[in-house]
Amino acid sequence: MFKLALASLWNRRGSVWLTVIAIAVSTLLLLGVERIRVQTQENFSNTISGTDLIVGARTGSTELLLSSVFHIGNLSNTLSWQSYEHLQSLPGVSWHIPMAMGDSVHGYPVIATTDALFENFKYGNKRPLSFAAGSAFAEQNEVTVAVLGAEVASERQLSVGSDLIVAHGTGEISFSQHDAHPFQVVGVLERTGTPIDRGVFIPLTAQGLVHGEYLPDSGAEEHSHEHEHEHEHEHENVVTTEPPVYTLSAVLLGLENPALALRLQRTINTYRGEALSAIMPGLALQNFWRTLSLFERALVAISILVVITGLLGMLTTLLASLRERRREMAVLRSIGAGPITILGLLVVEAFVVTLVGVTLGTAGLYTVLLFGAELLQQQMGIQVSASVLTLREIYLLLAILVAATLLSLFPAWRAYRNALADGLTVKL
Amino acid sequence: MSTCIELKQLQFKWPGAQLPLLSIPELTIARGERVLLRGASGSGKSTLLGLIAGIHTTGAGQVKVLGQDLAGLNQHRRDQLRANEIGYIFQQFNLLPYLSARANVTLACQFAPARRKRLSQQSIEQEAKQLLTRLGLTPEQQQQPSHQLSVGQQQRVAAARALLGSPALIIADEPTSALDQAHRDNFIQLLFEACDAQNTTLLFVTHDATLAPLFPRAIELSEINQGAVADV
Repeated sequence: MFKLALASLWNRRGSVWLTVIAIAVSTLLLLGVERIRVQTQENFSNTISGTDLIVGARTGSTELLLSSVFHIGNLSNTLSWQSYEHLQSLPGVSWHIPMAMGDSVHGYPVIATTDALFENFKYGNKRPLSFAAGSAFAEQNEVTVAVLGAEVASERQLSVGSDLIVAHGTGEISFSQHDAHPFQVVGVLERTGTPIDRGVFIPLTAQGLVHGEYLPDSGAEEHSHEHEHEHEHEHENVVTTEPPVYTLSAVLLGLENPALALRLQRTINTYRGEALSAIMPGLALQNFWRTLSLFERALVAISILVVITGLLGMLTTLLASLRERRREMAVLRSIGAGPITILGLLVVEAFVVTLVGVTLGTAGLYTVLLFGAELLQQQMGIQVSASVLTLREIYLLLAILVAATLLSLFPAWRAYRNALADGLTVKL
Repeated sequence: MSTCIELKQLQFKWPGAQLPLLSIPELTIARGERVLLRGASGSGKSTLLGLIAGIHTTGAGQVKVLGQDLAGLNQHRRDQLRANEIGYIFQQFNLLPYLSARANVTLACQFAPARRKRLSQQSIEQEAKQLLTRLGLTPEQQQQPSHQLSVGQQQRVAAARALLGSPALIIADEPTSALDQAHRDNFIQLLFEACDAQNTTLLFVTHDATLAPLFPRAIELSEINQGAVADV
C-alpha cells in the first residue's frame, strides 16, 4: 500500500511538489519564529547576571532596567553622589558600579562608569567582560578615554587610538557636541551578545569634565582643549576629595550574600536621604519579558496560521485530485482493495507529503541558520544558532504531522464514500 | 458440474427508486461456462455485475457466488472473495496509469492471498511476464508505464491482471467496446484460450448483439429480468 501511494504521488508529482513546498515553507517559518523567540528570550535574560540589585532614583522597575541594562530611554530622575556614597557604606555590599548616562556617540549610548564595570559586571552564565584590545581606564594617563563595545568598534571601524567626539543627548544627529573634549579609544571589549556591545564607556571623571561638573583644577577655571594634559596629576586626589559628577543614573550592586538582596532592597527603598528605587534584575527582566510576551505570542500565532494555510493547501489538492482519481479507486476496488485500503491510501499519501515537507522545511531552517546567522546578527541584531532541535521543536514538527494526518481523514472519508457508492462503475 | 453464479428471486432497487431495477427469478451459470450477457444501456447490466462482484448487496439467498451467499458475508469478506476469485475487466481505463504494465498485473495478487498461493510454484513476477507474453506483449512493452500502451494492449494487460492466479470467475464489462472489430475478435479469442487453460468461468457483458454467435451461451438481460425466465 505504501509503494502504491508513492507511485500514485509520483504520477502527480507536479502538484504534489507545490504542496510539499508550501508545507516546507510554513514549517520553516514556524521553526524559525520559535527559534528566534526562544533564543531572544535567552539572550535577553543573559544580558546581566551576578548583579544583585540595581539602584536608581525613584522610578518604575522597567524604566530602571531598560536604562541601566539595555541603555534604552532616559531616566528623568538621578541619584545624588551622596546617595551613592551611602550605598557603598551599606553592610554586605561587595562591589558597586556607578553609571551615568545621557550622552551618545553616533547614536550609541555613552555610559560613564568606573573600572568596577570591567571587573565586576557579569553576563550570561556569570561571564565577566574581557578586552579584545587595549585596557581599562585606570592604566591610562588621560581622563578623556573611552572603552568601546564590540559592535561600536566594528560598525564605526574604530580601534585603540582612534578619536571620538561625544555628543550631548542620545540622538544619532546631535546639535550639541562636546567637541572641546575629543576622547581617545583605549580599549575594545570582546563581543558579548548583550547591550554592552553597543556601549561606549568613559570614566566618570571624563563625564564630569565635559559637563563642567568636575573641574580638574580646584579653581573655577574653564576647561578646554589645552587642559587635557594637566589631568593626570589631579586624577587621584579629585576622586577622593570631590565627586567627579554630581548625579548618577543608576548603580549596580553586588552583595556578599545574594540571599540578603531582598532585605537590602527594602532598606534602600526606604532610605530617607533621597527617594531611591532598588530592583532585582532577574525579577525585573522576567516582568519585562512578560509584557513583551503579547507580541511574542502574536508572532507564534501568525506562524501557526501559516502552517494551517499550508495544510489547508494540501487538503485542497487532495480533495481536487479525488475527482480525477475515482477511476483509479474503482480499479483498486475491482481487484479486491477494500474501502479501508482506499482510505488508508489517502492518509498515507498525506502523511508522506507532510513528512517530506516538514523534513525539507527543517533542512531549510538549518541551511538558513548556517549561512544566514551572521547576516541576521549584523542586520537585525537577532542571534540564532544552528543548534540541534529542542524537544519543543520536535513536538511542533510532530504536531504538524498529526494535524496533517487528521486533516487527511476528511478527503480519505470522501474517497471511502465514493468508493462505496461508485463501486465499479464510474461515470466519467 | 458445480455452479459458479446462482441468482434466485433477485430483487434490487436503488435507494429512493420506486420500482426494482432488477428482478430476476433465477439464473445459474456453471463453472467453466462462457456466457454472454447482452443488455441495452441502462438495463441494469452494471448493477448486476456489481451485485455478483459483491460491491452492492441484496437480501439473503439471492446471490450466490461459488456457493457462498454474498449477503451472508461482511464487506471485508466480500472484498476478499472478489480479490481471490473474481477477475474484473472494465470497458476502458482499466489500468493504473502510473504503474508499468507488469506492475498493474501483479498488483491484483497483492490483495489476493489465495491467488498468490496458486502461483506459488513460480514468482508472481515470472508468472505475470509469461502471461503477458502469451497475450502478445513484448518484454519492453511490459515495462512501459501503462498509459503509453495502445488501448488494445491495455485491454490485454487488463485481461492478464484478471487472469493471473487463476480466479474462478472473470467478469468482463464491455471490454471490447473501445476496440475495432479485428482487435475485438482477437481479444475475445485470447480471452477464451486463457479461460480454457485455467477452467475459468467467463461472464462477458455487452450491448453488442453481434458478439452473440461467438459464445456457447448468450443471455438477453431483458428476457431474464422482470419475471421473464430465460431458458437457453
